[in-house]
Amino acid sequence: MVNSNMSDADYRKSKIKSRVAWGVAIFFACIWLLLTLTPFFFMIINSFRKQFDMLQQGVFHLPDPWYFKNYTNVVTHGFFGYFMRSVLVVAVSLVLMLIISAFAAYPLARMNFKLNPIIYALIVAMMSVPMHVTLIPIFKLTTAVGLYDTLRSLIGPYVAFALPMSVFILTAFMKTIPKEVEESAEIDGCNRYQNFFKMILPLSKSGLSTLAIYNGVSMWNEFAFANTLLITPERKTLPLALGQFKGEHSLDIPIILAVLTLSVLPMITLFIIFQDKLVKGMMAGAVKG
Amino acid sequence: MNKKVLATFFATVLAATTLAGCGGGSAPASPAAGGAGGDATAQADSSAGKQTDGKNLPTLTTEPLEITLWDIATEDPAKSTQEGAVQRFMKDYPNIKVNQVHQQNDNYKQQLVVAMSSGQAPDIYVHWGGGPMAEYYKSGFANDLTEMYAKYDHPEFIDAAVAQSTYDGKMLAIPFGGLSGCDIFYNKTIFKDLGLEVPKTIDELEAVCEKLKANNIIPFSLANASKWTGSMYYMYLVARHSGNAEFDAAYTQENGGTFTSDAFVYAGTKIQDWVKKGYFPDGVNSLSADDNQDRALLYDGSAAMMLHGAWQVSGIKTDSEEWYNENLGVFRFPEDSEAKAKGVPQDVEIGTAIGMGMSFNCFKEDKSVDQEKLDACYVLATQYYNDDTYNNDQLSSGTQPSIKGMEENIDDPNMKTIADVFFNASNVQLWYDQYLPASVTEVHKNCMTELFGLEKTPEQIGQEHDAAMKKALAEQ
Amino acid sequence: MKNGNNPGLAQARAKSIAKAATVFLLPALLLITIYIIYPVIDTFVISGYKWNGISSDRIFVGMENWVSLIHDEMFWKSFKHNLIVMVFSILLQIPLGMLLATFLDAGGKKFNIFKIIWFLPYLMSSVAIAFLFVYALATNGGIVSSLATIIHGKKTTIDLLGTAPNALYTVIGVMAWQFTPFYMVYFIAGYGNIDTSIYEAAIIDGATRWQYIKRIAIPLLGPIFKTACTMSLIGSLKYFDMIWNMTQGGPAGSTELMATYMYKLSFQQFNMGYGSAVAAGMFLLITAIALIFNKAFKVKEEY
Repeated sequence: MVNSNMSDADYRKSKIKSRVAWGVAIFFACIWLLLTLTPFFFMIINSFRKQFDMLQQGVFHLPDPWYFKNYTNVVTHGFFGYFMRSVLVVAVSLVLMLIISAFAAYPLARMNFKLNPIIYALIVAMMSVPMHVTLIPIFKLTTAVGLYDTLRSLIGPYVAFALPMSVFILTAFMKTIPKEVEESAEIDGCNRYQNFFKMILPLSKSGLSTLAIYNGVSMWNEFAFANTLLITPERKTLPLALGQFKGEHSLDIPIILAVLTLSVLPMITLFIIFQDKLVKGMMAGAVKG
Repeated sequence: MNKKVLATFFATVLAATTLAGCGGGSAPASPAAGGAGGDATAQADSSAGKQTDGKNLPTLTTEPLEITLWDIATEDPAKSTQEGAVQRFMKDYPNIKVNQVHQQNDNYKQQLVVAMSSGQAPDIYVHWGGGPMAEYYKSGFANDLTEMYAKYDHPEFIDAAVAQSTYDGKMLAIPFGGLSGCDIFYNKTIFKDLGLEVPKTIDELEAVCEKLKANNIIPFSLANASKWTGSMYYMYLVARHSGNAEFDAAYTQENGGTFTSDAFVYAGTKIQDWVKKGYFPDGVNSLSADDNQDRALLYDGSAAMMLHGAWQVSGIKTDSEEWYNENLGVFRFPEDSEAKAKGVPQDVEIGTAIGMGMSFNCFKEDKSVDQEKLDACYVLATQYYNDDTYNNDQLSSGTQPSIKGMEENIDDPNMKTIADVFFNASNVQLWYDQYLPASVTEVHKNCMTELFGLEKTPEQIGQEHDAAMKKALAEQ
Repeated sequence: MKNGNNPGLAQARAKSIAKAATVFLLPALLLITIYIIYPVIDTFVISGYKWNGISSDRIFVGMENWVSLIHDEMFWKSFKHNLIVMVFSILLQIPLGMLLATFLDAGGKKFNIFKIIWFLPYLMSSVAIAFLFVYALATNGGIVSSLATIIHGKKTTIDLLGTAPNALYTVIGVMAWQFTPFYMVYFIAGYGNIDTSIYEAAIIDGATRWQYIKRIAIPLLGPIFKTACTMSLIGSLKYFDMIWNMTQGGPAGSTELMATYMYKLSFQQFNMGYGSAVAAGMFLLITAIALIFNKAFKVKEEY
């Protein structure tokens, strides 16, 4: 850290100190790295094993021989279909959810009206609802409107369940945007709606990116609603694909690990591709005075 | 198992009376031999040859009909066996469409609750009998099959299977999953190498364990995170020490019956003794049978024996037929010589006689029976499930159908042993975790963890069972 | 916002605000009402009945279920477990996430690889995580026991999931493994939100990076901290997925949480009436705790 006020000795000392600090930091960073990677490592190596080999050799040896049939087996069991349906549901639900929660957070964060605290409290309180109590009512509703066993039936619950948390976070984010931003826009002749789309929404990018990650992942992995609302194999989403390989008394673990690997792969790829953009999106939240 | 014997008896008597009442002079000569393959005399109204031709069965509708069926056959071999039955049925009755849905086992009970409470229950669904079956029936989701079963042809199910499909004197399910005894699987190779004999008494079993221990082999492979696995040891020790007497008494909590009586304390003490001696794997409560961690211990030779349900045969065969043929043997749970001397029967076995049964939910909007649909379901379940093709598929994958005479078709030596033990049993005690009321089951399972974890004494867990049982009885 | 100095104008303004607020809030409120509020009301109604969950007959029992709930040891035991999970989740996930984010924020782009790998656990489904950890922690050949055996030189078993006090803390550890990455990203976003000129100004004023983080960044992140804590708090109080797949509340109920208890009662033990009382009680408790938390840590807010 270059600093004009420091003497040379001080500077050197601080440099050494910072070097040591970095060294320690990187050491712990690597430990954490190991902790996060190990389970992945086992998931992947064991997906290249035969069921019996895994039970006999134990989980922690390298596969001998490497067995690729698990993957071909998964792929030929309609994996692509499961995958595409998941993509579709998650994409639609996520976009809808982001728009609707930004809509809702805007007045809660930046408008002063009588019901504001009540509505905010109500929405936030809905975060504490355990999802299983909604299974039966939502199932009834879905069958009543004839959406049972369609992909569309998932969108409602997915969006609705992501809303309380998202509104909660976005409201917090939008509150940090200085009010001068809006005022200056108003002076420029923007009405509230233009204001929202032109100023607030772009400035909330960081919050929205975070929410996209948070909810995208949980929607991608969602099991309970999908399992309850979908019944035809040709209409099921990816988390249900596991069920194909689970018997009552037998469990082909390696093939299940292959399914898991294949389901998490697209997420990882997406994250690697977009993490730069994502971070930029997050940085874009920074407001220059 | 007085209760169960009584139930069987009741069902049989009821069946006989309805038979006499409804059948009149033309009662069926015999309730169908074996299931399918009968004589090929075509009935007048059937155009093509059906496998049900010539049988005494309800005439099925020729109108289009849709039947929804929920099972848990997500994986082969069960999947293709059960789909095969449905396919044969639909081929013979092209106007009837069966929507066969394979649910995941893990969430199956929840799925049924959700569907039933929303009035969307399937027409046919599978279950494991016991308390839940009674609950489905009491809530109006299971047709009473007593009359039909008496009137029409059906495979000749063994008595225990009929008993387990019966509640309150009413036949509520058609068995199709095959029976499952519970016996000790062992590694023949290890036994041979160490010169060990199959033990006949519990004392001999303990001697075998000592020898194995001395050779650094874990005597019993047990994955008790699943809890019902440890329960098998407990159930057997109770049964060997007291037959059915003490459990039945404790079940009713009457006449001094309690889960703290002799046999329960004996079983608990024995298990804890075995745990202390290291007869079970370390960390037994963290290994999971759902992930086959118990089988893994057998496969790599670190453990020599495993008390488990008969389905392990099919499971292990699927994993590796080679290993199975080379190493796997099975013997019945050894006898308690002391109890035997006192005249306690030593042939009470633990297991299930039906594996699974299917119940029918064929009701019209006004809650009257939808006989047309019910007839079709009955024919499907008794004549296509449980037919020769189906039973042969079951046998070849290591499952023993719950039908009389089937044991003669078994070539696999292990399955033969299991079947012999089962058929020679004076009584088959259904797993506690299916037989006990659901709330007691939960307590029982937790107690099994605590027992094996040496966290509670046998007396303490007995008291907990008692308290739960009393509460459940009071709520009924 | 009091801009209007004319009462008529202020009134018109209030009206237009109300109109805009309605338009903006309507879709969210509609969905939440249908999919969450209605089921919650339903749950409270069912909690007044003795009902097995499937029968068309329910018997109204008034407050009986609630009275049982108050005296239900198992419920309070699971609530206690939830509280333990909550405290440790907040104490582990938030500071760890903060630490990782600070490291990444300070390190800049060259540490991208850390960020990517650190984030991986969050991408996995709870089912997969439960499954992997059951194996990794197995006493027979799991990572921990194998390592212990190597270090100790003879066969050593560390039973993390099979014994009573261990299991709960193990699960807390796995939860931290799963959720820390999310808070990491959340705080990276928070750092990003701080005006770069503030950082520059601080550095020019002679602050070290550490001083900047301690004196400027963390206080500025206050509201974000609070939101993260609230999320972790609520999340851990209604946690279900991973624990269900990993222990089902075992061994011997030592990892039983309110949600798993409720699930067993409602869907496995034919006791929907009481299960609903548990669910409703759970809802009330979580809301109350969240409320107390938010009141206790009031962060200055301004419109």
